[in-house]
Amino acid sequence: MSYDEVEIEDMEWNEELQAYTYPCPCGDLFQITKEDLKLGEEIARCPSCSLYITVVYNMEDFLADSDQNRRNNGLQPSKQQPVTVA
Amino acid sequence: MEESKKLEKKDESEQRVWSWGAGTEGQLGTKILQDELFPRLLHQPSLSSISSLACGGAHVIALTSAGKALSWGRGNSGQLGHGEIVSNALLPKAVMSLDGYFITHVAAGWSHSGFVSDTGCVFTCGDGTFGQLGHGDYASHCLPVKLSCFVDQRVVQVACGMRHSLVLLKDCTRTQVYGFGSGKRGQLGVGNNKVKSVNFPRVVNGFEDDEIVGIAANGDHSAAVSVDGHAYTWGRGFKGFEDAHLPHCLNSSLNFIKVTLGWNHALAMSAEGEVYMLGGNHPGVLNISPPAKHLPESREVNLERVPGLDGMKITDIATGAEHSVIVTGKMTWGWGEHGQLGLGDTCDQMSPVTVSLGYDLNGAESIKVFCGSGFTFVVTIPLILLKL
Repeated sequence: MSYDEVEIEDMEWNEELQAYTYPCPCGDLFQITKEDLKLGEEIARCPSCSLYITVVYNMEDFLADSDQNRRNNGLQPSKQQPVTVA
Repeated sequence: MEESKKLEKKDESEQRVWSWGAGTEGQLGTKILQDELFPRLLHQPSLSSISSLACGGAHVIALTSAGKALSWGRGNSGQLGHGEIVSNALLPKAVMSLDGYFITHVAAGWSHSGFVSDTGCVFTCGDGTFGQLGHGDYASHCLPVKLSCFVDQRVVQVACGMRHSLVLLKDCTRTQVYGFGSGKRGQLGVGNNKVKSVNFPRVVNGFEDDEIVGIAANGDHSAAVSVDGHAYTWGRGFKGFEDAHLPHCLNSSLNFIKVTLGWNHALAMSAEGEVYMLGGNHPGVLNISPPAKHLPESREVNLERVPGLDGMKITDIATGAEHSVIVTGKMTWGWGEHGQLGLGDTCDQMSPVTVSLGYDLNGAESIKVFCGSGFTFVVTIPLILLKL
């Protein structure tokens, strides 16, 4: 059974993993790639445990030039922001 | 000979710290990146006078009786406050930039951290993508930064959830709670209109004249307890109930002294040592719903007595994302895939089961429990420290 339903705009793009991620209760991250999303996959899995979430999204947003679409839709900014050393 | 005698003596009064559960980010303090299914006694000289711990997604902050903060575990967002981004830190390391302050309270969220000093200052560091650091922007910081907006006020507590934070302010006449970060599920408690996120502290409404003495945040939930024993929750609805955008006082005549939050459940402890639960048995983690005694009115989620504890006096509670720990004889239940229940296996438990630490408490100490998302810490704390 899916642990949760999460909208794609609540997931964060992780440059290192090249995947959209969302916190997993085990401490790791649920992950789904753009390629998965283009194929209509809606399950994001955690690599460290058996849990998975259902991702709510529009497949069309990822079919053509997904990067451009994402910016135009004003979704969450990517997680990889510069970290300030105060 | 002298030396070994001294060591032996020290050992008797030494504080003991155990950890278990998910450990692949070094959060257990065991110096290895590995899950532990059984309670593991830590041998860390730096963890010798802990007064409190805060456990987050995969990092831990320890507060010593001398007012120093140490941190370890995952550090990829700057949440350890060491001034650098590290994937993880295996050993407790002092948060050096706070050396000039006596720290009295610490909090650990999914990937951010909060520190409060005895002078009433609050500092945050880590992931700021959702405004959860409260500095008026969405920047992340790997050194604790003081929240300048509270400069003339006295902050006493901070709480960090998945993507939001709460701060408790106290002056001679009243208390106030502030929230910042993601507010999509109502977890900021700033009102009924949906707030996606705020990056600057906003006052939480709805306590009227109730004096708040404790706050908690985890997942997309928030909670507070008042001096009169009222417990409030807000944020994501439990068990599929609607999200609450303002604090909601639990409908109970019990005198609550502590509320702790998971990602889909809450525990509330009464002054009489009873423990009640909100939510729990979340689909996708624990599918089996045991028959629960429901209260007659069901417009809101029911407060349920935790089963199997009749006649036991509970002295402390803690909740991870999907598991719970209570202190009586130290019992755990919930999701156990990473060994976070400390029972030696990866099974789930629907009701409390006793964890064996293989240690008898002496009369001069008390046991405190702390949970991160998928892991657990137990600390023996001398009673003299608790009275401070």
